[in-house]
Amino acid sequence: MKLSSREQDGVVILEPKGKIMGGPDASLLNDKLHDCLDTDKKKVVINLAGVEWMNSTGLGILISSFTTLRNNDGELKLANVTDKINSLLVITKLVHVFEAYDSVDDAVSSFKS
Amino acid sequence: MNKPIITGDTITIPSDQDFLADVDMFIEGVLRGWNIDESVIADIAISVSELVNNAICHGNKLDVSKKVKVRINKENGAVIIRIGDQGHGFNPTEVANPVDDENLLKEVGRGIFIVKSLMDSVEYESVDNGSEVIIKKAI
Repeated sequence: MKLSSREQDGVVILEPKGKIMGGPDASLLNDKLHDCLDTDKKKVVINLAGVEWMNSTGLGILISSFTTLRNNDGELKLANVTDKINSLLVITKLVHVFEAYDSVDDAVSSFKS
Repeated sequence: MNKPIITGDTITIPSDQDFLADVDMFIEGVLRGWNIDESVIADIAISVSELVNNAICHGNKLDVSKKVKVRINKENGAVIIRIGDQGHGFNPTEVANPVDDENLLKEVGRGIFIVKSLMDSVEYESVDNGSEVIIKKAI
């Protein structure tokens, strides 16, 4: 997995690309998230458009990110959840945990309301 | 052994998560050669990655000197994949239900649940010097 990041309207957009299956993947997103918190950036969108699929390790990373931000008065939202990832979120009932939007723009806008 | 070994229908790796991608590439390559629908390939690949992760971490306790073996076949209209480790196996009935409210925000514990949801069958066997999980998916 490769990970890039950018900012849009005060929201950090994290953009993983590839498959999230475990091993070296786990620390990349976690490290990036802690970088955000260290610089007081607490609004984060994870854009999943580039993620072909993820397994339970990937779901665990999303949950870890969600709870870490929440515990620091921040918020995590998802954008561009693919059908395959959405099916896993439904199977595991995590679809009730995460706010998901059809686009990064919509996810960013949701922080204003 | 410090790298994957592929012989015919089998890939063998050291118990190191750095080799997860090698197993994925091998399995998806075989499945694409059988002209299987991409969505089914993804379901199988996800399931294999879960079980290989479990074999590395739980079965072989991250001992890189121990091996994980993955064998893939096609039989009677189904893909059959065997994931073997050198551990003592586990009791699948003792795995906590990840969709219970108290487990929903746990970061781990969903692997077997996901495999059972995506595959048509999941079986467990003791084999010489280890354990094996056998998954089947109709194609």
